[in-house]
Amino acid sequence: MRYRSVAVVLTLAAASGIAAFALTSAARSPTAASTSDIPSYATPRTAWGDPDFQGVWRYEAAIALERPSKFAGRELLTDAEVAEADRLEKDQEAKRLAGEEGEAVGRRSVDESPIRGNEYNSFWQDHGRPRKIYKQTSLITDPRDGRIPYTPDAQKADARAAARYGVGPYESFLDPDTGERCLTDGVTGMMWQGPNGGHNQIVQSPGYVTILHEEFRDRRIIPVDGRKHGNIRQWFGDSVGHWEGDTLVVDTTNFVDRTNYEWASIWTRPSETLHLVERFKRSDADTLEYTITIEDPQTFVKPWTAVIPISRIPDGAQIYEYACHEGNYALPNLLSGGRADAKKKAGK
Amino acid sequence: MRAKLAVLFVGLVVVLAAMPVRAHHAFSAEFDAKRPIKLQGTIARMEWINPHTWIHLDVKKPNGKVERWMIEGGPPNALYRRGFTKNSLPVGVEIIVEGFQAKDGSMRGNGRDITFPNGRKLFVGSSGTGAPVDSKGGKDR
Repeated sequence: MRYRSVAVVLTLAAASGIAAFALTSAARSPTAASTSDIPSYATPRTAWGDPDFQGVWRYEAAIALERPSKFAGRELLTDAEVAEADRLEKDQEAKRLAGEEGEAVGRRSVDESPIRGNEYNSFWQDHGRPRKIYKQTSLITDPRDGRIPYTPDAQKADARAAARYGVGPYESFLDPDTGERCLTDGVTGMMWQGPNGGHNQIVQSPGYVTILHEEFRDRRIIPVDGRKHGNIRQWFGDSVGHWEGDTLVVDTTNFVDRTNYEWASIWTRPSETLHLVERFKRSDADTLEYTITIEDPQTFVKPWTAVIPISRIPDGAQIYEYACHEGNYALPNLLSGGRADAKKKAGK
Repeated sequence: MRAKLAVLFVGLVVVLAAMPVRAHHAFSAEFDAKRPIKLQGTIARMEWINPHTWIHLDVKKPNGKVERWMIEGGPPNALYRRGFTKNSLPVGVEIIVEGFQAKDGSMRGNGRDITFPNGRKLFVGSSGTGAPVDSKGGKDR
């Protein structure tokens, strides 16, 4: 009966174009646990009655944003695949803790690639807990093929950005992307991306939800008091929130376009026509179901949606200062690297 | 059937392994993959700064001259969460660094790997959520 209900929900959802949300409910299967017995979670409330999202959150799932081609046509892994991926994840974690590197811990073999993917051995990184395996084969749930629906021009820009990354030219401080310049990696991937795993602390007060992002010390102060969008364009746009039951819906427009330097992943770039809708919902005590819908005719042929499970870090964790400019030796180093490259080229 | 399953799992391994650890900056813009370095020296200073830590290393050359190298390490917040402290790499300790030199040929490099002269690895055995209760610390030296 329960399975039939899920099937009916899926069918209805697909028919009404909101497959994304139903899909995650069915797909939510951290480790190999059964999904159908999860009772609906009673979202805690703040003292003033709003759904409570406060705490430190980090993305700990092992799901690709776009569906890998080998899963083409498949939205979900089988239970056996989930179990095997989970076993592998734990095996790699054990090997990391034993000091192994390269292939043994899920990277490329150092023999094959001393650089790409092995720039820094894993002891330098904060891997956190072993990543959680979900049934989803991609974070993107709409379109159903799990791929970003780029316009042809955006596809070219993406290829251009990928080819430039790390290669240059680096002739000016404007050539590195904004992350390399210690400014920001932008708002679209803020909740789950970052070299440190994208730690975010959510703090609430009556009428406001504030998100503090560790990296770049990004912060968003989102009013949830019923106000409308203003008319000031900003790098992070203009966000207004409202509650739909236990879900926080944040609508952001008025982005400013500062992307002439090109980002490494151009889907994160804002343009003046970007419209971002984020939905925050606690699916259980330790999981935030974070859904983004991105609409921007300059970059995408249609809106797309990704459903991202984000984990709650136990109480006592905190985010730390990230005074990026303090030690961003990378900027002068990559500019002097660019000069060295140019000199070499001229000498040939 | 078994073979088929095995193939499937290998495929899965590749997919999950392929998720890159995103660095703060483009490595190849700063360091030269064709200039691998292996340095043995004593720590003169460690800078606990974002977005990357930097180790200042005094390397004695065969002619007795000492060169001061700067080696880029991991991000301090990540290291702290793993239990790495100021005592993990104190001044005067001897280490061996393997990495790649800066493109401009200066005495800077990244430190992909760090070991102690007796072969012990710098840092194993800590992981967790970053919450104080998870901090195991102390095992890095």
